[in-house]
Amino acid sequence: MPKLRMTGRGLWITVLVVPPLAFVALFIVYPILSAFAYAFFDWQGLRRLDFIGLENFHTVLFVEPYRSWTLNAFRNNVIVFFALMVLQNGLGFILAYALWRELPGARFHRVAVFLPVVLSTIIVAYLFKLFYHPLFGVVNISLRSIGLGWLAQPWLGQSSTALWSLIIAQAWHMVGFPTLVFLAGMQRIPGEILDAVRMETESEWVKITKIVWPLVAPSATIVFTLLFVGAFNWFELPYIMAGLDGSPFGSTDVLGLYFYRTAFGNVSAGQQDFGLGSALAVLIFIFIAAIATVITLRLRAREIQL
Amino acid sequence: MSAVAESNYYERRGLLGALGRDGLLQIILIANTIIMLAPIVIMVFSAFKSTSQIFQSPFSIPDFTQVGNFVKIWTETNFVRYLLNSFVVTGASMALILTLGTMAAYAIGRYRFTGSAFILMFFLAGLTLPLKLAIIPLFMLMRDLSILNNQLSLIFVYTAMGLPTTVFIMTGFIRTLPSELEDAARMDGASEARIMWSIMLPLVRPAMVIAGIQNVVPIWNDFFFPLVFIQNDNLKTLPQGLTTFMGEYTTDWGVLFSGLTLSAAPIIIIYIILSKQFIAGMTSGAVK
Amino acid sequence: MKANLIRTGAALAAVLVAAPAFTQDLTFWSWRQEDRAAYQQFIETFEAANPGITVKFETFEAANYNTILSTALAGGTGPDVMMVRAYGGLENVAAAGYLEPLSTDTVPALADFAAPALAAESMRSDGVIYAVPFASQTQLVIYNKAIFDAHGLEEPQTWAELEALSQTLKDAGIMAFANGTATAWQNETVTFGLGSSLMGKDFYNDLMAGETDFTDERFTNALAAVNDLAQEYFPEGFIGLDYPSAQQLFSSEMAAMFIGGSYELANFRSQNPGIELGVFAAPGLAADDEKLVGLYFDGGYAANAAGTHKEASITFLNYLASHEFGQAFANTLSNISTVPGVTFENPLLAEVNELNQSSIPYLMLAHFRYGEPSGSVLIQGEMQKLFAGETTPEAIGEVLTTGLAAWYEPFQN
Repeated sequence: MPKLRMTGRGLWITVLVVPPLAFVALFIVYPILSAFAYAFFDWQGLRRLDFIGLENFHTVLFVEPYRSWTLNAFRNNVIVFFALMVLQNGLGFILAYALWRELPGARFHRVAVFLPVVLSTIIVAYLFKLFYHPLFGVVNISLRSIGLGWLAQPWLGQSSTALWSLIIAQAWHMVGFPTLVFLAGMQRIPGEILDAVRMETESEWVKITKIVWPLVAPSATIVFTLLFVGAFNWFELPYIMAGLDGSPFGSTDVLGLYFYRTAFGNVSAGQQDFGLGSALAVLIFIFIAAIATVITLRLRAREIQL
Repeated sequence: MSAVAESNYYERRGLLGALGRDGLLQIILIANTIIMLAPIVIMVFSAFKSTSQIFQSPFSIPDFTQVGNFVKIWTETNFVRYLLNSFVVTGASMALILTLGTMAAYAIGRYRFTGSAFILMFFLAGLTLPLKLAIIPLFMLMRDLSILNNQLSLIFVYTAMGLPTTVFIMTGFIRTLPSELEDAARMDGASEARIMWSIMLPLVRPAMVIAGIQNVVPIWNDFFFPLVFIQNDNLKTLPQGLTTFMGEYTTDWGVLFSGLTLSAAPIIIIYIILSKQFIAGMTSGAVK
Repeated sequence: MKANLIRTGAALAAVLVAAPAFTQDLTFWSWRQEDRAAYQQFIETFEAANPGITVKFETFEAANYNTILSTALAGGTGPDVMMVRAYGGLENVAAAGYLEPLSTDTVPALADFAAPALAAESMRSDGVIYAVPFASQTQLVIYNKAIFDAHGLEEPQTWAELEALSQTLKDAGIMAFANGTATAWQNETVTFGLGSSLMGKDFYNDLMAGETDFTDERFTNALAAVNDLAQEYFPEGFIGLDYPSAQQLFSSEMAAMFIGGSYELANFRSQNPGIELGVFAAPGLAADDEKLVGLYFDGGYAANAAGTHKEASITFLNYLASHEFGQAFANTLSNISTVPGVTFENPLLAEVNELNQSSIPYLMLAHFRYGEPSGSVLIQGEMQKLFAGETTPEAIGEVLTTGLAAWYEPFQN
């Protein structure tokens, strides 16, 4: 690489670097920093009033009804994260393992499993909303037609099934992503290592737990982190399928919906509050950043040990 | 990748055992593919049915000449406008992302200068930040720039969001390019701009495709930013327009399904044609 | 005499010369996208009568209208005249000082408007009116006349009759009610559309007087009755049925009744032009209990306090408060205009107007949407719980009272 010598080249580099930097600074860095600042002020509509310190944070964390709303949404996010960990990443690993064998038709299966990933979440959400319809949805019609009518439920209407119905739709939508990331990880495992293991053991289980799983750990780190960030940012699917209120009675409320509702208001709760909204955003942000860092560091550490 | 090892293995283990294991895996794959495809197939089938046909026999194969639902969407709704808007917004964002991303990556990857590591870090920091959480300041920013209810707001946000991954992917790729051609051109007295444009850029196309696909899908599918920034029906993009449309035609499930089918069609078709590039592109951020 | 003539002439000349120079262009914002054509017509009428003022009508999405409006007003790019919401939704905008205060001096016609209508467009703190109210909406029961006739059914006079006729329909294989409660706000509609007569005017008055709260038996018993009816006669799986699907069941004549707002009438008719509609107020327990509908005001027309053409805006507001406009509004938009003395040529609308004579306000919207948590959010979630069998009416009374006590002073003791 040539060293920077002439001012002409310095200028040229500036021309190359400044416009992209400006975009990122103006539309990513500045808004995120402002979100932190906004959270310390009292707001009336779009007007910023007084500096009120940690008041907004105190309100969303400790003052009713916000306290229970925050806790409820947070709890649901945690459920979503762990459920998707199993349904999306766990299943993804199994599917990746199956695809890795390069059995006949593997190419087709690979294309099929990734197909839902390219669809818009909005399409997926509406599609499943129609499927879950209590009277005319495919799910209940199928159950009735095979004599299991008693299993037919108002899936999205009862607290016991609503969140899980959304989670299943989400898992269907995204399972292809971890599958193919894991698959890419498996395909990079050197053949010699596999051969060596085969000398040692016949057990498929030992092979998976002792060799394959540790060797795809880098993929796992990334997939887990992305799922974590995604699960705590979850918005579109519940917005379409359950509505802004997290119907029924908050059983599908997640931090994304709650934040949007608090910041921009909805029809039944006229108030919009940028201060409380920003405080929520900052809390979610710090939480995501902290946990994502921990996940990455811990999993990285494990990668090295092995 | 290790065909030799495979065959050894089969011999040692015995054909039956291997077949049993592979049979199970094959069953898992087939079952999964059915689950993956069934909703899409039902969606497409339903698009050709009347509402009562959907209610009575959701799984039956329809008469594919019944395109009434599609005609209705094409003629009675704003669908075509939403589609065009999506093309405009996605196209403009992609052009900006690839141009600006290549510029930054080229500077970082080909020149050694003070602060280049810091600049790369600056872009990488934007990689994982969930920008949704900054929607309130972004909203205020767009208002101050007077581009609320204007597609520029979307294009700018998408560009900023797309740059980190693009710079990341492109820098890595540009660094691997050999420098002989470049040095030779420099000897001949070619300007830096000339070297970049006619010598280096043709070489980075494969990375551009990867970076492009990585960004085009989320931008095409985005719903959140239009939800906040765009109110005027004539400016809505497809996912957002879909919500308006689903609200209007709630009673006609045939039309609903054909609306979903039409919205999904462009990306499904492109995906099927370019599945290899799509998979490589969309997982490129996660595959090291 | 001569001097007068000259003066008049001069004045006339001045007007003629000045008019083109001082043409005032007003912008007028609304969330009623579907009413655009009608408003263009009203505006033409106004412009014909007021040369020199032109009005440009612009619409925005209903769900985000308040956000858009406050954004624009805060940024100084707001309209001259605008539709504003009522109650808490009005206070959001008015409290920030964006709206021009109105009085009977500037808009004389306001003197004859009904007090609740004006209250809906006033700030609670100072009682100042900020908008000319435009329409009221009524929560009641809409029914399919053809289905009722085919089964020899009549509008019920008591709750028992309502149950009996629902049973008749159910036995005949027809869904009695189309309503579903998966969409949160529909729970509020169902509760007060069905339960207002059961709660009764006395309960409302006592509640307003601070003499009772939501643990009152009149309220909790009404919730229990609403729940019992829903469990029996709402569609199977109604807790998973969303609002559009419920509308669909009714407009496709698969169900006989729909509990909803008067705004549904135009909707059902446009989805199924052949449908024969009737309306009634859900009855109380006894035949002589007053049959009450839930009544509220939709919104009003307000002027921008920082507008450049304030005088022209007020002129326009005076037109919007006039009998002429009210009548045109009722005729073209099939809505209950709040302008006094308007008559309704549409018989169904006339009937709704008749039912409005005995009403209580649509409770949560009119009185409990001024703080967090709003009464609407509470009742919607709690009724969903009740319908799912996860709470009791008495517990709802407790939750409402203690929840609202966070900001509603009469409950704070």
